[in-house]
Amino acid sequence: MRWVIENRRRIRNLGISLLVFVAALFVTQWWDLTIPSVGRAQYQAVFLANGQTYFGRYYDRIGAYAKIEDVYYLQEVNGTDPDAASATRIVRRGFELHEPVARMLIPKSTILFVEDLTDSSPIAQFMQRDSR
Amino acid sequence: MSLYDPERDRVRIAGRWLRWSLVWFAVPALLGVFISANVDLRSLPVFGPERISAVLFPDGQAYFGHLDDSGESGTLVLRDVYYFKNSQGGVTGVPVGLVRRGTEAHEPADGMRINRDRILAVERVGGGSAVAQAIEVERQLIHASPTNVSLNRTTVAGPAALTAQRIAAEHDIARAWTAAVEQLRKLNDLVLPVSKAEAQAITEKALGDLRTVRRNALAALASQVGMSAADADAYVRATDPLLEGQSFANEPGVLLAPDLDAIVTRATQLYAQVGDAAAKQLTQPKATPTPSPRP
Repeated sequence: MRWVIENRRRIRNLGISLLVFVAALFVTQWWDLTIPSVGRAQYQAVFLANGQTYFGRYYDRIGAYAKIEDVYYLQEVNGTDPDAASATRIVRRGFELHEPVARMLIPKSTILFVEDLTDSSPIAQFMQRDSR
Repeated sequence: MSLYDPERDRVRIAGRWLRWSLVWFAVPALLGVFISANVDLRSLPVFGPERISAVLFPDGQAYFGHLDDSGESGTLVLRDVYYFKNSQGGVTGVPVGLVRRGTEAHEPADGMRINRDRILAVERVGGGSAVAQAIEVERQLIHASPTNVSLNRTTVAGPAALTAQRIAAEHDIARAWTAAVEQLRKLNDLVLPVSKAEAQAITEKALGDLRTVRRNALAALASQVGMSAADADAYVRATDPLLEGQSFANEPGVLLAPDLDAIVTRATQLYAQVGDAAAKQLTQPKATPTPSPRP
């Protein structure tokens, strides 16, 4: 008891430090390590090094990964006629065999560039309609 | 007598606060942010549902398993790994089959270390997805024990999921049987270099062999799902006649657990071998003995 009284200031400081540490840990996780961005469009196109493009709400994050939520991608559909040109449709990610959840993490090293989609973009309009 | 009191000096007070804030506030806050950014808290001991991750590669390959993405090493570790193989044109009705990592020729140990710079994306596999169900059934087949408290709880399928997969495998075996029989029938419709009676004998023999393959596949299925020898025998005798003549053509495809998929694949290969052997006999004229020159 005497030791506690003598070291109460140090114990208080340690308690504050511990609280700050735990708060920082959980706030960062809760925020999903996302760096806030202001004035950007609702949807982005994320172009990857392998030629694949994903559309969705892109978030830059602290750490090795960026995040895309509500992901869509383009898929070529070949008709029964082999001579006809293949059609392209936009597909919402989540209906594959592994039914992925809406959050996709992408290593920043595989991203070539990210573009905002304008409000008049047909892809953005489709995603907006689809998300309702 | 000096009026200066160092205890009330504003600069000194500010300095003291600054030092205190740096040591007891800023350092722990930065430490918290750093650890949070580098440790995957979702892989720490929890009592939650299992979390299976999908690691996608630029070439289209996908690996599924328990992901540990902690640390700054640039490497992520995937355990209890499964991946897709191409099954286009197969009888399962699904263009891919699931394979358990570790069954390859080099028999790799569990724990795949993947270069983070070489992956395309990381996703969480849906709990009720076909992939998750096939993995859970596979764990039941290899007698993996469920864990309640672990880094990432392992879920093992119950009897209902196992039965559903067994039935799907039975139907796949029946579909492959129907395709093999159909091929034989088409061959018999051609103008063959053998007589009708010979063609019928060859076809009957092939059908018998195909039935043997089907029965053996069902026996392997029974053994795989853990039936005793007597139960397996009864199961084969009861199920085999039910599959005769059934095509299950309009059934949706089911992604099978790797061990069940292997039985279906093996049965399909054997059906093809039997069919090919019959086709060879049906389409090749019998060699007539060449007349020997008279002495």
